[in-house]
Amino acid sequence: MNQTEEYRDVWVYTATEKDGLPKNSQEVIAAGRIVADKLGQKLVAVMLGPSLGSSPREAIEFGADRVLAIENEDLEDMLNLKYVDLLHRLAVERRPYAFLFVADELGKDIAPRLAYRLKTGLATDNIELDVGSFTNPRANETYKDLVIQIRPDFGTRVAKIFTPKNRPQMATIRPGNFKPLTRDSSRKGEIEQLRLQVNDDYGARVTALAEMPPPKVDLRGANVVISLGLGILKDGKGQPRDPRTALQMAEELKREIERRYGIKAEIGVSRALLYAELKELEGLISVENQVGQTGATVSPDVYIALGISGAVQHVVGMRRSKKIVAVNTDPRAPIFQIAHYPIVGDLYEVLPEILERVRSIGRKN
Amino acid sequence: MLIFTLVKGVPARTTNVVSVGGVLRREEMDLVMNPHDWKAVEAADYVRRVVGGKTIALTMGPDAKLAPILSRLYDAEVFGADEVYILSDRLMAGADTLATSYTIGRGILTIVEKHTKALEQLLGLAESGSPDECRALASRLYSENLLPNKVFSTLPTVRDSLIEKFVSGRIGRQDLLSGLREAIQVTNNFVVVSGIKSTDGETGSVGPQVAEALSESLGFELPHATYVDDFAIVPSSLTITCERKLGRLVQKMEMKAPAVLTVSADYSARRSDISNLLTVRLMSFRGKMREPKKLNAQEIGAETGRIGLAGSPTIVGPGIDIGKPPVQKIVNKSLVFYDDVDSITWNDRTFGPFQKGDLAESLPSQLIEDLKSKAKVGVFTLDMLAEELFV
Repeated sequence: MNQTEEYRDVWVYTATEKDGLPKNSQEVIAAGRIVADKLGQKLVAVMLGPSLGSSPREAIEFGADRVLAIENEDLEDMLNLKYVDLLHRLAVERRPYAFLFVADELGKDIAPRLAYRLKTGLATDNIELDVGSFTNPRANETYKDLVIQIRPDFGTRVAKIFTPKNRPQMATIRPGNFKPLTRDSSRKGEIEQLRLQVNDDYGARVTALAEMPPPKVDLRGANVVISLGLGILKDGKGQPRDPRTALQMAEELKREIERRYGIKAEIGVSRALLYAELKELEGLISVENQVGQTGATVSPDVYIALGISGAVQHVVGMRRSKKIVAVNTDPRAPIFQIAHYPIVGDLYEVLPEILERVRSIGRKN
Repeated sequence: MLIFTLVKGVPARTTNVVSVGGVLRREEMDLVMNPHDWKAVEAADYVRRVVGGKTIALTMGPDAKLAPILSRLYDAEVFGADEVYILSDRLMAGADTLATSYTIGRGILTIVEKHTKALEQLLGLAESGSPDECRALASRLYSENLLPNKVFSTLPTVRDSLIEKFVSGRIGRQDLLSGLREAIQVTNNFVVVSGIKSTDGETGSVGPQVAEALSESLGFELPHATYVDDFAIVPSSLTITCERKLGRLVQKMEMKAPAVLTVSADYSARRSDISNLLTVRLMSFRGKMREPKKLNAQEIGAETGRIGLAGSPTIVGPGIDIGKPPVQKIVNKSLVFYDDVDSITWNDRTFGPFQKGDLAESLPSQLIEDLKSKAKVGVFTLDMLAEELFV
């Protein structure tokens, strides 16, 4: 049974917020745009919520051709089953060719369940998307115009995932990997308002929905990220060092950069360092600082990796940084394969030198 | 209550992964239990301490490889799992999350049915059988760990099981029947707990997809919650209240068993209230069954087209290496231009234009020497690095 030709359009699920379309939604539109353009299909933004405000119009301005807007007060509580039910109904009725979600808590909660109900595949955490053909070596069949879903794999590699036969081809994209398109207020598109009723007899209900305090660390908004890995525990001679020393030096560099250049800098950490749960760093670093597959994906102007070996789980979270500086004592560390400025050496010697230069250049200007 | 924990054997080292055509060969690697699953084990243990029942660890994969890993779940008498089931079959190999969730859903329902069938068998006999016949059957089923202490028990701390009360004439046949029906009801209200994701596939999709697989078979929408940081269960109603992250929001949910929970890496179990100890003991089972049980595709009633590679809509293509950046500048080593240079004519060849900081290494070595002597080219310094980064 291969009825794939009846399926068309690339759908993206776009979450909305009170003050408009959040960055993640702009990114998923950009991701969908890549796929839709290569396929020569329309890009449809799907949004659900109690009141959508200006979001449908914004989705058009950020690159969607069409918006399916479902406003319903019953969606206020954000109960996952309501969202799965409505999206399932829409997908069955309109048959999209591909359906993309953001790999955030919402996307990773509802997309798998929706994929199962639609009996289709789901490739999670994609860092790139493309369109192309795939030949299955086992069956010697070729499928054209597939969405190529590219996600982190083991070691230092990424894998391409294909969903050759089932539709829609479903994927979640990792935040921070697709650059939002420039907003264009003259862009034209169609907004379709739909009235859909929600069931009221679920075996679950939401009893409260509260906003968390804003995070203290804004990794994704920083121009410079200074990241620390397990390498900070030893210096170049292999002598143990108090990790607080490296952290203090990194924080000093952060302050100097911010003060002298008027740009934002943040401290990042690798998963290895965070999960080592060192007594010395207790309360000084948290999951908000974590860069990598399980933490934040960042693409700052400058990324400084200090004592980070560069496991792929870390690399996928920072490889799009414009300038990568890596300091490591091990010349074979995989981080050097992607660093623009590899420095083989002791971070306890290099970091003070960088700090010194930052100060002296700042003085000149 | 039956409390399922989904566990997975993952490669011990991500640097030495054996993969053939995008399919992991778990039988050829050293495996460990997925670290995130210990949170699920902890959560399941909490449920058992609060409402009673038994914890069942369920996994899928090559049983010879998985059995030793899962034996760790028996290490402590008061923690881990009471029983372990391994879904193992050649036909299950190469499954993606859709096929995996279908298989696990079938496995869960097969195990639930095994328990309800045992109770139904006893119920059937109890309608007309003699007290001694009932006790003989109950004793056999209890030894197979299929009956809660409330129905039958050999524990010295449980004297008033339904069967004992019936045999001694303290309750009538109708009381026994309604007690057994209630036990069947409780068995059907199971809970499934999984970790946030595995460290190999890292999808985090199996929890919600198992909820959907169970819904498909049971004919109603089973609730699920992912990213659960905290939850509690009320023994009298089997209502679960949980707190979960949802972007910048915290969502509190209330749901009725049967339900599926995916606990986050930040989850830690609540303390249980020991005032409930007697009820918990009555709802619990005989104890730990130390031999993992294996179930194959046929035993769980799985359609062969929906499991393993055949049931997987996704195909993993060849892995690709993340590309090198085009330009790499090494401090104190790389040769770079110290100034902007429009063009250089040298031996009838023209090079350029160059900008300050551009690499000069592709130029003929004699020209480089010449430029070095004029201080147009030199080694890349830390000063230059700092300038390129921030200015």
